[in-house]
Amino acid sequence: MNAWRNLNGEGRMGAVILTALILMALLAPILAPGDPLAISGEPLLRPFADAAHPLGTDRLGRDVLAGLLHGTRTTLLVAFFSAAAALIVGSVVGTLAGFLGGIADAILMRITEAFQTVPGFLLALAAISVTGPSVPTLIFAISVGTWTQAARVTRAEVLSLRERDFVAAARTLGMHPLEIAFREILPNAFGPAASLAAISVAAAILIEAALSFLGFGDPNRVTWGSMIAEGRTVLRSAPYLSIVPGIALVVTVLAVHLLGRGLSRSERLQP
Amino acid sequence: MPPLVSLLLKRLLGALPVLAIVLVGSFLLLEAASGDAVDSYVARSGTLDAEQLAQLRQEWGLDKGPAYRFKAYATALAQGDLGWSTAYQRPVGAVIPERLPITLLLMTLATTLAFFIGSLLGVIAGASPGSLRDRFLSVTSLAIYAVPGFWLGLVLIVIFAVDLRWLPVGGIESIASGKSGFARLGDIGAHLILPVTSLAMVYLALYLRLMRDRMGEIWHEPFVQSLRARGIGHWRIVWRHVARNAVLPVVTMLGLQAAAMLGGSVVVESVFAIPGFGRLAAEAVARRDTPLLLGIILCSAITVIVANLLVDLAYGKLDPRVRTGR
Amino acid sequence: MSKPYLHIAGLGVRYGAAVALEDISLEVGQGERLALIGESGSGKSTLAMAVAGLLPEGAKATGSVDFPTLGYKPRPGKDIGVLFQDPNGSLDPVMNVGDQIAEVAMIHQGIGWTAARVRAAELLGAVQIPRPLTRLNSYPHEFSGGQKQRIALAIALAGNPSLLIADEPTSALDTVVQRHIVNLLDRLVRDNGLTLIFVTHDIALASERTDKIGVLYRGRLVEFGPAADVLGAPRHPYTRALVDTHISLDTPRRKRLAEIDTAGLE
Repeated sequence: MNAWRNLNGEGRMGAVILTALILMALLAPILAPGDPLAISGEPLLRPFADAAHPLGTDRLGRDVLAGLLHGTRTTLLVAFFSAAAALIVGSVVGTLAGFLGGIADAILMRITEAFQTVPGFLLALAAISVTGPSVPTLIFAISVGTWTQAARVTRAEVLSLRERDFVAAARTLGMHPLEIAFREILPNAFGPAASLAAISVAAAILIEAALSFLGFGDPNRVTWGSMIAEGRTVLRSAPYLSIVPGIALVVTVLAVHLLGRGLSRSERLQP
Repeated sequence: MPPLVSLLLKRLLGALPVLAIVLVGSFLLLEAASGDAVDSYVARSGTLDAEQLAQLRQEWGLDKGPAYRFKAYATALAQGDLGWSTAYQRPVGAVIPERLPITLLLMTLATTLAFFIGSLLGVIAGASPGSLRDRFLSVTSLAIYAVPGFWLGLVLIVIFAVDLRWLPVGGIESIASGKSGFARLGDIGAHLILPVTSLAMVYLALYLRLMRDRMGEIWHEPFVQSLRARGIGHWRIVWRHVARNAVLPVVTMLGLQAAAMLGGSVVVESVFAIPGFGRLAAEAVARRDTPLLLGIILCSAITVIVANLLVDLAYGKLDPRVRTGR
Repeated sequence: MSKPYLHIAGLGVRYGAAVALEDISLEVGQGERLALIGESGSGKSTLAMAVAGLLPEGAKATGSVDFPTLGYKPRPGKDIGVLFQDPNGSLDPVMNVGDQIAEVAMIHQGIGWTAARVRAAELLGAVQIPRPLTRLNSYPHEFSGGQKQRIALAIALAGNPSLLIADEPTSALDTVVQRHIVNLLDRLVRDNGLTLIFVTHDIALASERTDKIGVLYRGRLVEFGPAADVLGAPRHPYTRALVDTHISLDTPRRKRLAEIDTAGLE
């Protein structure tokens, strides 16, 4: 509860919304049993018109609310794991670069720079085109495009940490350099990288949504991005089909940012 | 040698290894694809017999190993040949230049809009940190920052193109409008308003926040107290001194965001059916056109490097501490 | 007796519950030079800022600060020039020094940009920056610490003030530069007939070139009077300790110098 007390109003709001979203994701099979991709009613029912379909149905008669609930699962799953993967890969690369220094540092940072030079979304697209769309490959594709920031932040932190006393102490104790890097330095350098977590999660949500919007998402799962794309075909007659999942997207990303800002003291890292 | 030329040379030399890594990396990534261009070509264009398939594979070098193909690709690239687009049946070097200018125009307009409006609002928010105006702009910008550009594009289409019918739904200009000169420019402009807005909004919010936060820090710097002691009015301090100092990191960010904005243009161009570079990338992926995708990745890396170079030059003009020998 | 330039009566300043100044009363005549001495946290800078009208937000002031010869509330920059301690923190890093000086001249003297730039060059010359015309377009980082403090002095003088407040203007500089700045300040103050409030913790510096000395101790003015009186016959134990420490630490020659200087001021 201590964390809760330290949060400001914005942070608390973010935490509440995210908790609600996680509950929605966990309870989706109970709240909306059955396959959300199955046809469950008349097509193109307006929201609030039918109690059985509170948010209406799409062009094929699939329930929008069920799609929304099940979409939460995909969104949070992909976002969480790809942000975690990006942070872990980034901080390992950053630690190695910062700790080893010299040629290894130069090579690793050139590689990081190369990844930063190509748009992350384009990299994700290319990766998807290689692996084909599924949840694990989406996670891979998104983290391929987003790990660089964590690498840079961790490296900067490691560079300042490696001259500190406790590292020198570990050296005199005869610890192996890699052991020092990963047991002494990385845990200390991970803090600043973790403060990127909110940005990474938000970026992952948006990339996943854009990929599924373009039709490169997992075809066997409902996602908010694919719902928006689906609704787009009837944008003139039933704009709510694209607008409703988009609002879910905005609320989720906003909640992540609010919580991130609430947790992080260094507001400059946050948008 | 003039400092500008030596800076350019230095940066170009520094960019070469990065480009080499991009090239090798993306080549390896795309080589890992299961199924090749011939498979997807066949999937779309109907059946070919085994002999024709083998011939096609040989033509595209698909019967050899990846090392052979990379060598062939790199050799051709050194001569300025980006390869053959399997989807368009034309040289990649001919397809990309048709598409890139529209996207560059889109990005330039979006960056300009985001930078000027964003930092202007950022100054208004940062002029009095903690004020009602500041809190309103901060919360609004955070909300805008959470809006994906492609969805914003759809919402704008619903409002301004479908309901109000003020602006066109998509495309880059009216088909067979017979317009020329300024009328045609106006037509293209009208087509660009919604896509530029959709692409720019996130960055507008970002620059607003950056400007505001940086101004908040600068108000605490000692030189601001000395400006007050000189009897300079509040708004003059805001514009001529605090904002002037705070804009520097925003300018740096312009370069860093070039890659992200290029990525964003992929989706926004799809929403507005703009035949640009971003949409080409989506098509290359959908049609498994590896040479085209490689060319696209390479060209976007070059675009990002050039954008950063331009930003660095502008930064040098703005920050006197960089201008006169660091 | 003619009206004093500055008249302070019962001045108190508090930040929330913390008292920074309590019951300060003093008078300074036109053209007089007052040194405010005290250790850090004694309130000497707060007193200087209260006179300049530059107390930070959240400070609560009671009592009165009047300028009888002016007859109106002085404007910072125009009637009062302020010189701060840290030369690196006094100047806007991204505006050239010519514009920074000219800005003050334009605002307070109602002159155009060109005239203001000419005035800026004159002021740069007056504070002994070599080649003032070409240095107008230089930026703060292109000057040394001592030069920056001279430029800050030029800015403080650009509005033609009648009072100059110098808040420990030399304590961030090394000894040789300190002496140059103090000499320059002294000459400019005399030449322009300015009233000076000089905040310092260096009693030697204070004794040499000021008419009056005020000693602050824990927010109170424990000693105030002509320099020779205060230094010759300190009444408060803190002042006595200050004078004793100075004399015991310094060479006899410096002591004599100080005596001669204070004598010469009368």
